Amino acid sequence: MGKSSKDKRDVYYRKAKELGYRARSAFKLLQLNEQFHFLDDPNLKRVVDLCAAPGSWSQVLSKTMFKGIKESEVTEDDERKIVAVDLQPMSPIDHVTRLQADITHPRTLNKILELFNNSKADFVCSDGAPDVTGLHDLDEYVQQQLIMSALQLTTCILKEGGIFVAKIFRGRDINLLYTQLGYLFEQVICAKPRSSRGTSLEAFIVCIGYIPPKGWQPKLDENISVQEFFQGLKTDSKNQPRVIERYYEEERNIAEFMSCGGLQSFDSDATYHYDVVAALSDVSLDPVQSPTSPAYKKDS
Amino acid sequence: MSEITELTHCGPSLCVKFFEHYVFAAYGPLLKIYEYKTGKVVNTCRVLKKNKVHGISIGKSGNILAYGARSVSVFPMSEALKKESVQKYENITTEWITSSEFDYTEKNIYMLTCYNKILVYNLESKSIAIKAVPGERSILYSGSIKVFSDDKAYAVAGTVMNGVIIWDLITEKMFHNLTGHEGAIFNVILSDDGKLIASCSDDRSIKLWDFTTGQELTTGWGHTARIWYLKFFDNDRKLISVSEDCTCRVWSVSRSSTGKIELVQENIIEAHQIKNVWGVDVQESENIAVTSGNDGRIRVIDLAPVSRYGNELQSFSLNELSIKHGIKMEKGEMFKGFQPFKFGLIAATSLGKILMFDQISNSWSLLMTDSRLTSYSIFHGIKEENIAVIANNKSELLVLKLSEDGKTIIKESKLHYDNLSKTINCLVTKFDEKSLFILLESPNPNDQLQGLQLSNNTLEIINEYTFTKPKNFTTSSVAIIENLLIIGSRFSTVGIYSLTKEQKECYLIKGINEGDNITSTTFISKLPNALIFSVTSRDGYYNFIKIHISKTFEIAKHEIIYSNKVARGFLEGSFIDENDDFIIYGFKSSLFYLYNETKCYELASQLCGGAHRQWNFEEFNDYFMLVFIQSSTLHIRRINKLKFPHTLSDGLHGREIRDITIRSSKSYKNGYLFCTGSEDTGIRLSYFDITTNEINTYWFERQHVSGLQTCSFISNNLMISTSAREELFLWKLNTDTEDRPYMNLLQHLPTSMDTPDLRIMDFSVKFIEETVDFVLATIYSDSTIKIWYYNSDENKFKLIIGGRYETCCLTNANFVTLNQKLYCVVTPTDGYIVVYNITEAIQFELSESNTLVNNEKDLTQTALPMYETRIRVHQSGIKSMDTQVLDNTLKVYTTGDDNAIGLTIFKLDTSTKKLEGITNSFIERANASTITSCSLFNNNSKLLTTSVDQIVKIYDISNDQLDLINERYTTIADTGSCDTIDLSDGSSRLLIGGVGFSLWKWTQ
Ligand SMILES: C[S@@+](CC[C@H](N)C(=O)[O-])C[C@H]1O[C@@H](n2cnc3c(N)ncnc32)[C@H](O)[C@@H]1O
Repeated sequence: MGKSSKDKRDVYYRKAKELGYRARSAFKLLQLNEQFHFLDDPNLKRVVDLCAAPGSWSQVLSKTMFKGIKESEVTEDDERKIVAVDLQPMSPIDHVTRLQADITHPRTLNKILELFNNSKADFVCSDGAPDVTGLHDLDEYVQQQLIMSALQLTTCILKEGGIFVAKIFRGRDINLLYTQLGYLFEQVICAKPRSSRGTSLEAFIVCIGYIPPKGWQPKLDENISVQEFFQGLKTDSKNQPRVIERYYEEERNIAEFMSCGGLQSFDSDATYHYDVVAALSDVSLDPVQSPTSPAYKKDS
Repeated sequence: MSEITELTHCGPSLCVKFFEHYVFAAYGPLLKIYEYKTGKVVNTCRVLKKNKVHGISIGKSGNILAYGARSVSVFPMSEALKKESVQKYENITTEWITSSEFDYTEKNIYMLTCYNKILVYNLESKSIAIKAVPGERSILYSGSIKVFSDDKAYAVAGTVMNGVIIWDLITEKMFHNLTGHEGAIFNVILSDDGKLIASCSDDRSIKLWDFTTGQELTTGWGHTARIWYLKFFDNDRKLISVSEDCTCRVWSVSRSSTGKIELVQENIIEAHQIKNVWGVDVQESENIAVTSGNDGRIRVIDLAPVSRYGNELQSFSLNELSIKHGIKMEKGEMFKGFQPFKFGLIAATSLGKILMFDQISNSWSLLMTDSRLTSYSIFHGIKEENIAVIANNKSELLVLKLSEDGKTIIKESKLHYDNLSKTINCLVTKFDEKSLFILLESPNPNDQLQGLQLSNNTLEIINEYTFTKPKNFTTSSVAIIENLLIIGSRFSTVGIYSLTKEQKECYLIKGINEGDNITSTTFISKLPNALIFSVTSRDGYYNFIKIHISKTFEIAKHEIIYSNKVARGFLEGSFIDENDDFIIYGFKSSLFYLYNETKCYELASQLCGGAHRQWNFEEFNDYFMLVFIQSSTLHIRRINKLKFPHTLSDGLHGREIRDITIRSSKSYKNGYLFCTGSEDTGIRLSYFDITTNEINTYWFERQHVSGLQTCSFISNNLMISTSAREELFLWKLNTDTEDRPYMNLLQHLPTSMDTPDLRIMDFSVKFIEETVDFVLATIYSDSTIKIWYYNSDENKFKLIIGGRYETCCLTNANFVTLNQKLYCVVTPTDGYIVVYNITEAIQFELSESNTLVNNEKDLTQTALPMYETRIRVHQSGIKSMDTQVLDNTLKVYTTGDDNAIGLTIFKLDTSTKKLEGITNSFIERANASTITSCSLFNNNSKLLTTSVDQIVKIYDISNDQLDLINERYTTIADTGSCDTIDLSDGSSRLLIGGVGFSLWKWTQ
């Protein structure tokens, strides 16, 4: 199926075409970076892009990390490496090592570790989304399990202090996920780039400062489900949930919300006219100034 | 302390189960129990705290097992039938439960989790064992458990990637990993004899597998979207499936002579609306099924629509009549017309033979021959009177009155109508209790229409009439209602004549819709000085027309109070059934259909080859009779009425409800009317009763072509709805009659382009004093703001102000008046509240009481001024807004995509004479997700908010602060809309919409 005409009218879709990105999703990562600058760290070496196909995030990673350097110009001892994993095949991207694999599969971890010569990664991102059934609770659960799979892999591969970014859908149980993530990272923020449609529940968790709990040895095992993997994570081990228990209310925390991408960037909910698009097309998507903070923040 | 009580809920139902004379249906966390024979609701019982019930199993020991998400519960049926809640039995586990069953002793429970493990636990909620087969722990969407004996129980699990894993859950031995499907497996089951495995998948197919060998036996194709659930019945000889494609299908598992097993699709039932049938069960003793869907409907389906009594479909050729029934037919002789009667049927042949079919003995007999009817005849009748009327094209008529059993002609009348030399049409209708009416039309357009009134008993002419025939008028239907003769014509035109008046002048209602034949006219209701009737048009339109009549049956005027178009093929007729539902029938492609238009489901259909044939359709006490000719053969289809209600719950929308509006200015019956606008592109006009809390839907408006954005009542009888493609419709509500309210499309707003792709995101209305004219603000997805003037006399919108905010999408608009100024408050997706002062730009004056006054100026289009003030409140898009003007201040409540809620107060700055706003109260993490809607209630002292995290909150705002006073979980996913109304007893009703709909009560 080709893109509908509605998609063609979408500014981000057009902008992505213009700039050679494989998907409009590229702007989501760019706008997240505008806010958090995680890709601007000169020490950024090993990064993993999970659920990467068709590859626009990998393109962004490649461009920001290797700024114009050709693949042939990279020296032997350069430790910088991007690994992109997806179930689907992906066409080549400069500086990106592609891996066609299932991120929920334990063997995938070993393959990535091999590629990094057993060194830890600085940054892991995941833009994965399973097919939806229309049963909201099941879809949300499966999405969270995919994030947990990505996180499971991340805990085995991310260096302490590293960053994890993943796509979420802000549904009923999202705060359960925030709570889980809170055990592993110093800071968990729910970020929404302007290029992500306001009408969609999509957002991104930005987890900064990986701190594996003391004494917790993440280990992947074929016979262990994601759920079991994270058991024992809670600091208070007496409060471990039993396999079956009388219903109780689980701990839920709301993460801080942050809108990303300056106000001068395009609004993904708006309908742009051709004239406007033309007039705006010189305007860089990068903000010329840092976003003004909302009035309520100024006052306090 | 204030309190919230849940009154009524309607939303997706994920599973259904028959048990004895009950149907158990899951509605979110609730279990609703019906008596399917009467439709009576026995009890509604809360099973789980928050999770939705995905499956239920009923044990022989009288316990019910229910599970959903990570919750599972076992409780006595006796409590479920009586108690309000059995939630105390709920258990929670660590993984998603794909399926759960009692073990053989019913003392333990097996639970299959989404990681392909079986958890065994006992009724005291103690975990006994965890069973699994070695291998990967990747996620499952589906699976089931089948228990055969104490030591024989199997788990069948469907993976996300093509596979079906079959294992013994007692010995933990794996039997098969069946591959063959493409994509995720959504259900997999074992047959009752344990020999077959059935699976369904993303690939839209059903596969049967041999349990012993693991061999793939056959694939069933037919569904046009994903298949969700399967069930074997009839000793594993049949399989029933339900799907995303709205249908429920019955398959026979047949063994061919070579022993090859095949799945043959036997029946397709369009059971639900728009998308997703989730659950199905079969009651074999009654041969019925029950399905549950995303639309909240619980549908009872006749599994034997053409085989229950054996008399459903009969076919006869004339040749057969000669051979079997001894009626000699000539070569080339054909059926020419027929009329169903209680005893069976009367038919005429092309050689003038009048035949009688007796449906008790299934025999045919020749009643008489009228040679005048050779070659051309038109056949009609009055079924209640056993009278048949047959006309030829020479104005000759044969009228027969038959005995009760149809076997003898009691009266026969051969007429020749001298006034016309030729006739092209003859129509018959009941005149009154004692007589019938025949209308004859001449092929000569200058000839007048002729009418005959005949006595039912003697068949003698009581009266003759002549009616002037309007230009371009060709009769197509006739009805007599209260001394008025209503004739339907081609070109969607109706002519009305008063039968009591000397002058038979025509009152013409021309071109009601696009212009096809009027196929039927039906009396609906009577008012002191008016009549309502419905007309159907061949092209699918149907209209309810109100005519105002004087005592002398003078027609003063008419008004089309309702108009809609059916979504299916040709429309031939309609009637109101015993439940007051509007039923329509006609043809779609090669089928005849009978459809409940009020509730939106098909009652029956019959393959007949399509509309272009001779046919007749009549309703009798407990059946309908459809007679049609296909390939020169006469077919008689008896559509028996189901003994049970067709729906146990009607359901509402098939997709998300985007907006709700209560007609709060006026009550209706013992409650209120409200509209819901949905992503399914429809608007429903419904009613809730404040005593019984029942919800009743009257109409489903299909005029919008894209998903609804907003809908809102702007007065007692006007409602506005908007959607994408720049659609803004103004509707007129009519509640004059007792029977039902009507809502008709009055006007639509002009669009800016021929093929608009802008969305109208919101609007606001301000009426002009002492008129029904109003000023309308519309805001668009391209940042445009337009102000219109609606002139009710001309029924026209005129653009008076236009402009643009910036380039971002606008989301909410509200007019407010303050200090004799008119403001338009707008919220964009950039998080600002933007206030436009349009007092100068608008050509109406504001009175001292802040009302708009028409000063009869010529209206010219002006430019939108620059906004007077704006203030950034939210980080990103503002999702909803409500406003309030109090003590010379403007209070704006906003909710955002940033999980936050704000109260911003605007005051007039005395130096600048402009409004200045400050955000007085702001809650940053009010919810875990987008806060989608808000509404002020309780005399504007409380604010209700809804969020996608499914937590509904109520704030007390009386101190200009947002003080949280109530919060409550709603089972409605994608919670996106709400409306509120204060009742005279001090309580309020809260209506909450999303994927489903809830009615809550709030008390101080
Ligand atoms: C929205 S796309 C990612 C787009 C990408 N970030 C880009 O910018 O081009 C989601 C991807 O997740 C992948 N995916 C889903 N489940 C996966 C799994 N279990 N393992 C690997 N990839 C998966 C899908 O194949 C799909 O390509």
